[in-house]
Amino acid sequence: MSEHYPVLIVIIPFIFALIVAFAGFIKPRLCCFLTISALILSLYSSIILLFQVFKTGCIEYRLSGWSPPWGICYNIDYLNSIIIVVVMIVGLMCAISSQKAVNRDLDQKKGAFYALFLLFITGLTGILATGDLFNLYVLLEITSISGYALIGTGNNKAAFASLKYLFMGTIGASFYLLGIGYLYISTGSLNMADIAAIIPELQQSKTIMFAFIFCMTGLFIKMGMFPMHGWLPNAYSDSHSATSTLVASLTTKVMLYVMIRLILNVFLPDYSFSKLNIDNIMVWFATVVIICGSFLALSQKNLKYMLSYIIITEVGYIAGGFWLGNRLGMTGAILHILNDALMTMCLFLSSANFIYVLKNDSFKNFKDIFLKMPFSAAGFVIGGASIIGVPPTCGFFSKWYLLSAAQEAGHYEFFSALIFSSLICCILFFRIIEQGFFSEDDHENNVTKFNEAPVSMIIPLGITVLLLIAAGIYSGDIITNFIDHAIPDIIT
Amino acid sequence: MKIIGIITILLSGSIMIYSTLDFPEWGDPLSPANTHLSVYYIENSMPDTSVPNIVTAILADYRSYDTMFETTVIFAAGLACFLLLRNFRKKKKEYSLYRHIPTGVTLKIKNSADLADDTKLFQRIDSTWVPFDLVTRTASGLIVPFIQIFALYVIAHGHHSPGGGFQGGVIFGAAFILFAISYSLRESLKIISEKTAVILSCVGVMIYAGTGLLCLLFGSNFLNYGSLAQILFTDPVSARSLAILFVEIGVGLAVAGVMIWLYYNISSSGKYNQGL
Repeated sequence: MSEHYPVLIVIIPFIFALIVAFAGFIKPRLCCFLTISALILSLYSSIILLFQVFKTGCIEYRLSGWSPPWGICYNIDYLNSIIIVVVMIVGLMCAISSQKAVNRDLDQKKGAFYALFLLFITGLTGILATGDLFNLYVLLEITSISGYALIGTGNNKAAFASLKYLFMGTIGASFYLLGIGYLYISTGSLNMADIAAIIPELQQSKTIMFAFIFCMTGLFIKMGMFPMHGWLPNAYSDSHSATSTLVASLTTKVMLYVMIRLILNVFLPDYSFSKLNIDNIMVWFATVVIICGSFLALSQKNLKYMLSYIIITEVGYIAGGFWLGNRLGMTGAILHILNDALMTMCLFLSSANFIYVLKNDSFKNFKDIFLKMPFSAAGFVIGGASIIGVPPTCGFFSKWYLLSAAQEAGHYEFFSALIFSSLICCILFFRIIEQGFFSEDDHENNVTKFNEAPVSMIIPLGITVLLLIAAGIYSGDIITNFIDHAIPDIIT
Repeated sequence: MKIIGIITILLSGSIMIYSTLDFPEWGDPLSPANTHLSVYYIENSMPDTSVPNIVTAILADYRSYDTMFETTVIFAAGLACFLLLRNFRKKKKEYSLYRHIPTGVTLKIKNSADLADDTKLFQRIDSTWVPFDLVTRTASGLIVPFIQIFALYVIAHGHHSPGGGFQGGVIFGAAFILFAISYSLRESLKIISEKTAVILSCVGVMIYAGTGLLCLLFGSNFLNYGSLAQILFTDPVSARSLAILFVEIGVGLAVAGVMIWLYYNISSSGKYNQGL
């Protein structure tokens, strides 16, 4: 059985999604239980997989039993095994935390909701595990379709936000598909390793260059890179809080992973950095993203809108750090993918708690939040500290890597953009904390009652906070055992 | 804003045209796409899988994992439509409309108690003008069974000719939608209820995934049909061919179920009343 774990991490949520869709019409009460047990099972298999990779190195799994260039294969290596674990943790925490809100708002459609929830996780895990470009596209479709549907459930603006996301997402996915088509025309293969073996002979080919451009454009749209970010804030803010936590913490990070995977293992760093010579432009681009994203975040009046713009700046951090092209920058970028998934989840979970109790996420309602909802507010503060980059939390370590990489590469514009956006984040979070602690009303007249979110929403938040600190403390181990092996040796 | 859009489209269009200049010649037998992987498929698909149609062999065996998720994409679309459109709240109307079938007279009943939706004499309708078209009903009633038999043929004959689960499922679903359009949604719901459509699509995808899991239980990789030879009492090569048929049936069921489910949700905007 032990050799089948690479496929089990994808198949368990998939099979359970079918069962949940079925159960939604027969016994709706079972849906949530089934979802959580599916995610626990797949989290367990992904952790075992992580240890297998740690012990024996990369694992290849041949689906349908055909050898790679002809069939489809899964490649679990140092880069994706750890991201898969994070995806499973985020999925599990979101499922636990969403129970109450889903029961309240989507009672009769629970089956469909949780089935799409599981299909979303299936898609993301498949994207992470696969070693085949077209298989990646198919799973991208599953992720997108379930993502659109999940985002469409929300307030009355959600359907429009979802429609906008659908248009943009479809254009992005089509560009990616076009890129794969170009790669197939010039190499005749869809397998990542096989293409990587052929590409060095085709350095001069225009088709390969355009394949690169189309793939990257598609992924930039999907990850919400700055000029193409139009769909992101509305989609994440208007959607139901049970879904925005999941979609916001994972989609952009997995798309960034795909970008890193394509450059490191398909087009190869030699071609992407030396031949095309676009790394300076990309770093400047990321700098603009970070600065614009920070300003836009500063101008928001609602918590979820603010968090959505912070996600856009974080995309800039990771993309810019990766395109710096040195070892430190790539380490920082990959570490930041893991950390940012956890940080975003922490912030969105606490905002889900606020919305569950306050029914609104406007900053005006956050008066005396520390008296009313002490646990959720504490979780929010630690999540915010991690985004700013305060030492014991994990955000500090990845930001430190990015800063030293920018300094080593001599990209001082990126360096100053990072510092600048950290300062803006300080303002953003302290503004809310100030309102929560020191509101202007006198406390004697209107006594604020303790009104915390249900326990099932507090526990996932607590675990996330612990994970944020643990990821910070063990970031050295994560880097030496996994991320160092994931980056090819030619990058120094 | 419109001008920016036009400029963007023209720019990306011209980039795309420019990018095709470096392509291999049209139909070039020596192009990478024709020399790298295709040779293996053309030479070995018959001895490997005993399926004469190479497209089916690639689709349902070499790249069967992709096809499973393509089916899931359709299933997810059905779920998405249900999640966004289905409306469970029943509005209390002031009156309800019934048609007296023998005479075609429409009755408007105020404060009606819960009358049965359809009896032999009366049919419930939702708007005052609902055409009663004998020609369409009779014609579609005649043709639907033949379309459905053709759908079954397309599913079963995917091994030898163009066709297979997706196409057959779509034809089957379309035949039922034709029935639902020419009669009414209420009458079609009596034949295939919402629950049946959902179960049909779930079971369809489950047949595909279950075939894969069965291979896992027999100790080989996911969807490696060869290991099913033990329960199918044949050699591994014919087992692959048989398993492809199972899988195609699963795809057909799933696609037909989702087609019907999608039609139910979209045509009545989730209310499951009379429909179009």
